[in-house]
Parts: sequence; C-alpha cells; structure tokens
Amino acid sequence: MGTPESTTTGRTIRGRAAGLTDQPLTLLTVAVFWTWLVVRWTNDFLLDGALIERNTSFFPTAPFESVASTLGSLASSLGPVGFPVGWVAGFFEFLAASIPYLPQLATGVWATILLTVLGIALGFFIAVPLSVARVYGGSATRSVALGYTELFRGTPLLAQLFVLYFATPLTAIIRELPTVGTGFIPAQAFWVAVIAFMLNSAAYQSEYIRSALNSVPEGQLTAARAIGLSKVDGIRHVVLPQGLRYAIPGWSNELVYLIKYSSLASFITVRELFERTDAIASETYRYTELFVLAGLLYLALVLSASLLMEYVEDRVAIPGLGTTSR
Amino acid sequence: MSPPLLELDDVYKSYGEEQVLSGVSFEMDAGDVDVVIGPSGSGKSTMLRCVNRLTEINGGDIYLDGDCITDANTDVNELRKQVGMVFQDFNLFAHLTALENVTLGLRKVRGMDKAAAQEKGYEHLEQVGLLDQADSYPAELSGGQKQRVGIARALAMDPKLLLFDEPTSALDPELVGEVVEVMRDLAAEGITMLVVSHEMGFARSAASDIIFLDDGRIVEHGPPEQLFENPQAARTGEFLSRLTHEGE
Ligand SMILES: Nc1ncnc2c1ncn2[C@@H]1O[C@H](COP(=O)(O)OP(=O)(O)OP(=O)(O)O)[C@@H](O)[C@H]1O
Ligand SMILES: [Mg+2]
Repeated sequence: MGTPESTTTGRTIRGRAAGLTDQPLTLLTVAVFWTWLVVRWTNDFLLDGALIERNTSFFPTAPFESVASTLGSLASSLGPVGFPVGWVAGFFEFLAASIPYLPQLATGVWATILLTVLGIALGFFIAVPLSVARVYGGSATRSVALGYTELFRGTPLLAQLFVLYFATPLTAIIRELPTVGTGFIPAQAFWVAVIAFMLNSAAYQSEYIRSALNSVPEGQLTAARAIGLSKVDGIRHVVLPQGLRYAIPGWSNELVYLIKYSSLASFITVRELFERTDAIASETYRYTELFVLAGLLYLALVLSASLLMEYVEDRVAIPGLGTTSR
Repeated sequence: MSPPLLELDDVYKSYGEEQVLSGVSFEMDAGDVDVVIGPSGSGKSTMLRCVNRLTEINGGDIYLDGDCITDANTDVNELRKQVGMVFQDFNLFAHLTALENVTLGLRKVRGMDKAAAQEKGYEHLEQVGLLDQADSYPAELSGGQKQRVGIARALAMDPKLLLFDEPTSALDPELVGEVVEVMRDLAAEGITMLVVSHEMGFARSAASDIIFLDDGRIVEHGPPEQLFENPQAARTGEFLSRLTHEGE
C-alpha cells in the first residue's frame, strides 16, 4: 500500500521547448529558399524553361555589381576606417559573382534532396524489421540483424558506394531499365547511390529505433499479449507506435547527417550539389564563392529538415510520451 | 454438475533453481470472487500469470471451464480472450486514449469494426464511471482513473474470468476507494474474479474465498469468516494480524 506511482506512468506533460519554429528569421530564410527552389525546378524541369531560359538566373547581377563598386570606392575614400564598408562591398561582390551559378546549383540541390529523402525513407522500411529483430528476435535473427548493422556502420560509406558501383552488376542492371537517365529521372549512378544510402541509413536508423524500442516499458507488450494479441501484433500496434515516436529525435539527426553525407555520391559521378559545385568551380576557378554558396545551400537544407522534423514531432506528439520535450 | 470455472491441479513452477509454486491446487466456480493473499515473493503474481499463460508451468494442469489450458496445443491468444488481466501498474497503452485502450482488443483481436467497437468501448467506460474521460490519454488520468480504464479494457473482451494483480497497491491511499468500488460492482454482477490484493475491506465483504499463499504453497483456503475469525493455521493468523496492523 502507498507505493508512489511509478515514474513511467506518472510522467507529466511538459511544455514544448522553444524550437526553430519560433524563430521568424529562420522561417523567412527557409520560405525564401524553398520558393526559389520550387519556382526554379518548375521552370527547368516541368515548363521547359518557359519563365526564363534554363541556366539563366532569375536575379540580374548588374545591380549587385554597381552596389559593390559604389561601396568599394566609398570604402577606399574613407581610408583606414572604411574597412566595414569594404566588407559589405565584398559581400555584394560575392552575390554578384554567385548569381550566375544558382540555376545549376538548384539542379544539384534537387538531386541531393531526392538522394537523401529516398535513402532515408527506403532505409526506414529495412530499419524497422531490423530493430524489431534486434530487440525481439531469437538468437539467430538477432545475430543476422546485428551483423548487418555492424557491417554497414563499421565500414566507410564511401567504400560501400564504390563496392556497389564498381564491384557489383548493379550499375549495369539499372542502366538497362527504361526511363533511367531521361527527363528528370536521374541516371544509374544516382540509383546506385540511393541503394547505398538506403542500406547504410537502415543500419543507423535501426540503432536509433532499437534503443527507442528498449525504452518502451515491458509492461506494454505484456498488457497487449494479455488481451489476446499475438507477439507480432502487440509489437505492431503497441510497441512500435510508441517506440517510433521516441525515435524521432535520433531520426532527425540521421536526416541531417545524410543530407551532408550525400555529397559522397559525387565520387561515383552523381550530379548532386557537391558534384555540381566542384565541377563549376574547376571550370571557373571561383572556388571560394562556389563552396561558400554550396555551404549556404546545405545549411538551408539542414534548417529545412530540422523544421520539418520539429513539425512532425509536434504533429504526432501524445501527452506523456515524452517526445515534445527536447 | 458442471465443471468448476477454474481449476488448478497440483501446479508447479520454478525459475531455474528457485521453486516458486509447489503443488498449488484449488477450484473456483462461475461467479466466485477469490482473494489471494500472502507475503511478498510467495508466488501470487506468478500464479495469476500461469492462468493466462504469460508464464508457463512446469508441472500439473490448469482447467478453464473443463478444458485443459496448459497442454501444448492450446491457442494462448484464444485463451487470453477469455481471461482478462488487470495489472498493478496499470500498463495502459500510453499512446492510446482511454477509449482506444478499451477498443484495441475488440478491433485487433475480436475483429470488430470501428463503430461497433467504440459503442462497446463507451459502454465499458460507463461501467467504470469514466465516460467523460474517453478521449484522455493515460498521462492525463489520475492513478485511480487509469486503473479503472485498465479494468474496462479487460472487461471489454467479455472474459469468463478476470485476474487482478494488486490492482490498488500502486495507488495513493485516497484513490484506492474508487477502484475498490468498481471491483465490488463487478463482484455483485457475478463476474468471476481471482484477485491478488491486501485490501482487507474488499476481501471481507466481497470474497467468496480467501487463499493464503506462502512460499509457493496454499497454507489455508476458506471463506473470509474462517480466515479472519478462526484461522486454521497459525501462520495465517500471524500474517493477517500483521496485515491489519500495517493497514492501520
Ligand atoms: N521472470 C522471473 N524470473 C525469475 N524469477 C522470477 C520471475 N518472476 C518472479 N520470480 C521470482 O519468483 C518469486 C515469486 O514472485 P512473485 O512475483 O510471483 O511473488 P508475489 O507473491 O507476487 O510477490 P509480491 O507481493 O512482491 O508481488 C520471487 O522470488 C521472484 O523473484
Ligand atoms: Mg506480485
């Protein structure tokens, strides 16, 4: 008698911590970024350049150039105290120099997003059975799942890409498929990269989901079994819906990592953001501008992903399940 | 004469070296309310879990309504539809509302459609006085309300037998009453219940029989008057007097 309520059942509903969604500047940046991307893609891929010719930027460079030169001469006339003005001038120079490359980079961003989203989404469907096998499987299934996870987490992603691309018949098989490499359906290297990211991400995601499943109290499955659900149904209807919610923060991490790691696909010729940047830079020798620009685009992608995951987390939040507290 | 609703026949259970149940036998008829008491570690929870086969026994037999439920070809999911269980720490499905907790089994085990399951779900929430909390999540309920949802969830499956494992011992004292009241109502409706509880008020007034379990053996089994007024075994008297002292 009088045992205090256990902490798992007595969890209280905590207010949502302040997140990115509460920062207007972030929201504005992401909104501008996506408006530009969507208009660009629509124009280039769907409307066949109806709004503006492909590879021609929406933004003219002339105004930025004139602002830059005005500020530049102002800075030099101010002498030694003019250096802050000089910086601003440099920024406008940077903008003017970057603008012509934006359209090509937008195409690279498309491939990066597609690569990341497909990799993580397809990986998820492998990760769920893997993690369930790790937590609830017999010793044989457990070892298989563990072996898979260790293999893909223990070897470099780049090596996995190379093996799939060069050492398996995958590339040849995909090349023969209809529509591959036509229109906005990327060429075979892209699909090999998707498969590599799927397999690799599944291993990482299964780790996040496994520890999330372990944090679902044992009594939940016991109660499910006690009303007559089979073990599989109990896992499906009771344990997973809770465990997957606990896994969301880890999942957001994985998404952010994959956005950046997807740049490795450039090594097998996938024309994603990093590859595009590198290609243009080696043609124009504008390395600094282009890689700063690419960095900013990656940053905008990561911010968008964080915002999206915050939204998802809020949408599926359930009082007491502890997903809303960060 | 119809067979007893529940019969345990010389049931043995051990965990490795540790003998937890050593030859437990008793019978219950439909409509009986038997209360199991005994010191911590005496095997009360284990005994309940053997009845719905959350735990497998090592020897003896258990019969439900005349059918042996401990042989190898018994469908445990079928058995568990007929034997409900209420847990000490509630174990409500944390991601589901009170109503969904009650209807999950109806939908996924009994295959009822959503509307029919909800209608039946509301009925059982009303039975435990929680119609107004149907849409609350477990974290939004008090301990007493959680346990009443736990009872409604078990009742919804229309079980032949309800098992209770210390249903009030995780509750703050002021919340015990509302749960005991629901259990009393069920007893009065003739629902067969096997209750592990040290809630002596309930045992005195609602139990058909009291079973005193100690060290995996039934030390004494009889109507409440016998155990409270005239215990046959010395250990029963000792245990009960300690219990009533603690309760005060
Ligand atoms: N899954 C298990 N594995 C190993 N030993 C167990 C397991 N479950 C219970 N036991 C042991 O069996 C014995 C009886 O446990 P049980 O939970 O049935 O006792 P109880 O009478 O319900 O006690 P309490 O009043 O504390 O709930 C204890 O010694 C316990 O350690
Ligand atoms: Mg117990």
